[in-house]
Amino acid sequence: MTDVPAPRSVVYLDHSATSWPKPPEVVEAVVGAMTLSGANPGRGAYAMALAASRLVFESRRACADLLGVPDSRDLAFVSGCTEACNLMLKGLLAPGDRVVVSSMEHNAISRPLHALSLLGVRVHVVQADETGRVHADSFERAVRAEPTRALVCQHASNVTGAIQPIADLADIAHENAALLLVDGAQAVGHLDVDLSVLQVDAYAASGHKGLLGPQGVGILYLRPGLDAGELLQGGTGGGSSEEESQPRGRPERYEAGTPNTPGIAGLGAAARLLIAHGAEWHAEEQAVFRELKEGLSAIRGVTVFGPAIDEQCVPTLSLVSDRLDCDRIAFELDRRYAIAVRSGLHCAPWAHRTLGTLETGAVRFGVGHGTTLEDVRAAVAALTDLLA
Amino acid sequence: MSAEARRFIAYGFASVHDAMAAESALKTAGVAVVAIPSPSALGELCGIALRVAPSDADAATAVLRRAGLPPLARAEFDDI
Repeated sequence: MTDVPAPRSVVYLDHSATSWPKPPEVVEAVVGAMTLSGANPGRGAYAMALAASRLVFESRRACADLLGVPDSRDLAFVSGCTEACNLMLKGLLAPGDRVVVSSMEHNAISRPLHALSLLGVRVHVVQADETGRVHADSFERAVRAEPTRALVCQHASNVTGAIQPIADLADIAHENAALLLVDGAQAVGHLDVDLSVLQVDAYAASGHKGLLGPQGVGILYLRPGLDAGELLQGGTGGGSSEEESQPRGRPERYEAGTPNTPGIAGLGAAARLLIAHGAEWHAEEQAVFRELKEGLSAIRGVTVFGPAIDEQCVPTLSLVSDRLDCDRIAFELDRRYAIAVRSGLHCAPWAHRTLGTLETGAVRFGVGHGTTLEDVRAAVAALTDLLA
Repeated sequence: MSAEARRFIAYGFASVHDAMAAESALKTAGVAVVAIPSPSALGELCGIALRVAPSDADAATAVLRRAGLPPLARAEFDDI
């Protein structure tokens, strides 16, 4: 135990689930939204309500600037990436449609697809390799085999950190008159995501992971002209309130009900920070993550899943040990060393089936903004000590 | 108070988002604009409209056209 550095209050390595701590600017924006502009946005026109409306507008514009979206109306604020995935799948797929999807998907994709399959949507799964990467030629063969409505793929794996070939999949989709629908939960905030370059049809993003926003807010991008049905109907403030049907204009069509204004304010503040500092922060993350991956990979009896050290990935990895079960590793890292990691299936049983860890699960380490070399050295030393 | 100052032009938009975008574009262009509850004369009882002075109407129209935010409705009112 003497070689283990004394932990600070906590070494937080669960950024793949939720980033923490949040930048002070994000916290201040959330508090400001609840105090200075705590009225309902998009409804009244008194001063505080207008302040809330402007706050939502400016946050949406900041997110659009960050993601390379020319018209911020094409971004809808939703409760999180899970709702965004549900909206893009259920809003665009109908009974009889065929979908080609990767074997690495999170339950936010696989469960809505299962529900849709019960209604007659046909789901074809394309296998990823042992690192969690899917290959464009596998998708292409599957898409060409039968008429296909949509390709569905994550941008990056929440288990191995593998980055998927989204631009290639967009080409394949559009050459075959199909849509490309992307779950970007693990990519935004960790990669430079430019949707104007990627040419996706829909892109779901989480606000509280790499984007550094609060929990309870996410984003759905729909390309201009794509007519996705809404999940919810209800009040939208402006527009034709007397009409029975949901307004079709964006973004209101997809935002029935009072929005999560504090969350949106925090996400907007985070987007502005990432526009200013994202490239620098990504480089720091990658350097810290590389040290973590090299250190964990060198521990005897540990198998690390994911791309090779020199291959680009988002800063997430999972591992198993031949000495100790995954739940015990996570528990002891927390109890003895105050290191926060997560064991289990990470809401991604498809991915663990692909990797051969469906029966054991894995221990996941996720690096993010603010993780230091000291943190990851402490984690490597702790796991080395625990498995000695 | 001049005769013109007692009147104003109100513009209605497709959504609150568009109204906020129009307000931002007008302010950036230096056009004085005030957000108001949407007047019934614009065909909507909910939402947010924008008001400008009649002397700024031409400039406002040009700004909004360049921004891709043409108003859906326009009405002229006496102030109170």
